[in-house]
Amino acid sequence: MIPLGAYLLLSGLVFSIGIIGVVTSRQVIKVLLSLELLLAACNLSFVTFSKFNGDYTGQLIVFFVILVAAAEVAIGLAIVVLMYRHLSTLQADELRTMKW
Amino acid sequence: MLPIIHWNLISLEVLMTIILVMLVLLDIFLPKDVRDDWIGTLSFIFLFGLILFWIDQRDIRGVTFNKMFVMDSLAWFFKGFFLVVMVFIFAMTRQYFKSLGQRRNEFYLLLWLALIGLCFIASSADFLLMFIAIEILTISLYVLTAYLKSDKLSIEAGMKYLILGSLASGFFLYGMSLLYGVTRSTGFEMIQSFVNTHAMTPLSLFAVVLIFAAVAFKIAAVPFHMWVPDVYQGAPTPVTALLSVGSKAAGFLILIRLFFGIFAGWHPQWSLVLAILSAITMTYGNLVAIYQTNIKRLLGYSSIAHAGFLLMGASAGSMLGAAAINFYLLGYLFTNLAAFLVIVLFSAETHRDEIEDYAGLSKRSGILAFSLLLSLVSLAGIPPLAGFFGKFTLLMAVVNRGYIWLALVAAVNIVISLYYYLMIVKRIYVDLPINASPIAVSLSMRLILGIAIFGIVTIGIFQGPFLDAALTAVKGMYLFHL
Repeated sequence: MIPLGAYLLLSGLVFSIGIIGVVTSRQVIKVLLSLELLLAACNLSFVTFSKFNGDYTGQLIVFFVILVAAAEVAIGLAIVVLMYRHLSTLQADELRTMKW
Repeated sequence: MLPIIHWNLISLEVLMTIILVMLVLLDIFLPKDVRDDWIGTLSFIFLFGLILFWIDQRDIRGVTFNKMFVMDSLAWFFKGFFLVVMVFIFAMTRQYFKSLGQRRNEFYLLLWLALIGLCFIASSADFLLMFIAIEILTISLYVLTAYLKSDKLSIEAGMKYLILGSLASGFFLYGMSLLYGVTRSTGFEMIQSFVNTHAMTPLSLFAVVLIFAAVAFKIAAVPFHMWVPDVYQGAPTPVTALLSVGSKAAGFLILIRLFFGIFAGWHPQWSLVLAILSAITMTYGNLVAIYQTNIKRLLGYSSIAHAGFLLMGASAGSMLGAAAINFYLLGYLFTNLAAFLVIVLFSAETHRDEIEDYAGLSKRSGILAFSLLLSLVSLAGIPPLAGFFGKFTLLMAVVNRGYIWLALVAAVNIVISLYYYLMIVKRIYVDLPINASPIAVSLSMRLILGIAIFGIVTIGIFQGPFLDAALTAVKGMYLFHL
């Protein structure tokens, strides 16, 4: 059987990749993808703990998180469409009309 | 066996949800020409009805939904707080869209959704419910921020808020999953009994830090403040007001629930950290605010500074500290919303938010100038007004805890903040107006402004009953532990 630590390591790894993606990506779509990775990492860790603790709450939470993630990405893509229409760019680093 | 559900505990939220659904249906089925006025008017009527219902609920206490939902004194206090905030926000929205002419019905519906999220945050006694409530609030705020669909600043603000906000909720969720792994539960009661019987391990410390990071994002404390200035400037002004008062109060409510309740057993580990964060936050907010030229952006930095002041109460870690937070937030509600009301009324006429445009405001509209003067002076903390006594109780809490240095930093910060608030006052009263056309203020807006000013002055002069209310809210808190 695969030990608990391996799952946690994987979820931590996915979470770190997500954060690095959010911080370094210039494409807004890529940033949204990385945000989804964050939530996926959380889901993995919930399911792992649920399995190893013998408690079903964790698996239940995952369903709620999937819902929230869907809502978030729907709003995100809607704003991306607005951004493309009115600023005609998808680069995150061009969002700098406001500074200081 | 089905658990027994006490519906009377959750009736306020149920009523709000019914109202929201009803308004959505009305928005679809009412004829086009009457619809625009009706949604706003009905919202006001329902809001006042809900406030009466809230007063009626003052003695209802209990836990239900398998210990997920709690109605305690703290929840009751903050639900009233959020309802009063919404009265002001609805009034601002009415005024704001009058001059803008865009469709405003969805705006009202989203505000109702945000209110439901806020009330659920106030009542959550389980991390799952708390996470979902926070998401209901923030997701409606993302849409509200980007609401001005053809305004570049609004889109930019919406995108930034969405990215950083989702990052924060990712932190919250990851912390929650680790905490679930350590304690085998997401319910506050189980977690508290775990905290009281176990020492802190590196994993649980990591979980608490992640959750705190998400809360710090909500209250705009320093390492997580980057979104504040941009979002405050770009968002429609009613949303900025909601962010600066409602969202911040929700953050502090979570902070009180977590750090004066379930994590209180680990108190020695986080008190000093909060004190240092508080000092950095207020200094940063006040220093950068000096250089601002846009009034919404300036109030953004000033709201970072106020988050720093409020964190002092959290770092004190005493009952007085928590009560001081509640009391300060009460004063901050009227003070900050009065300022934003003036900004809305001013920009309805001039369509500008730059501080230089406020030159000679006293000659254009006496009531606007006076309201802005009172709220800025109260934000700075000058004696007979609400802000002064709030800062005083916070300082008292910190000194009692033994952080004299923090009180000194706060005192220096009050002086710095006086400088930039009084610069605006000077601009309003001493400078000559560029454009001397008078600004008309309608009777209903005068009334709302009057309520805000009344609040600022009353809380400043008769602190007793308000301080009592703040203290009882903390004393009767579910799982209160120090």
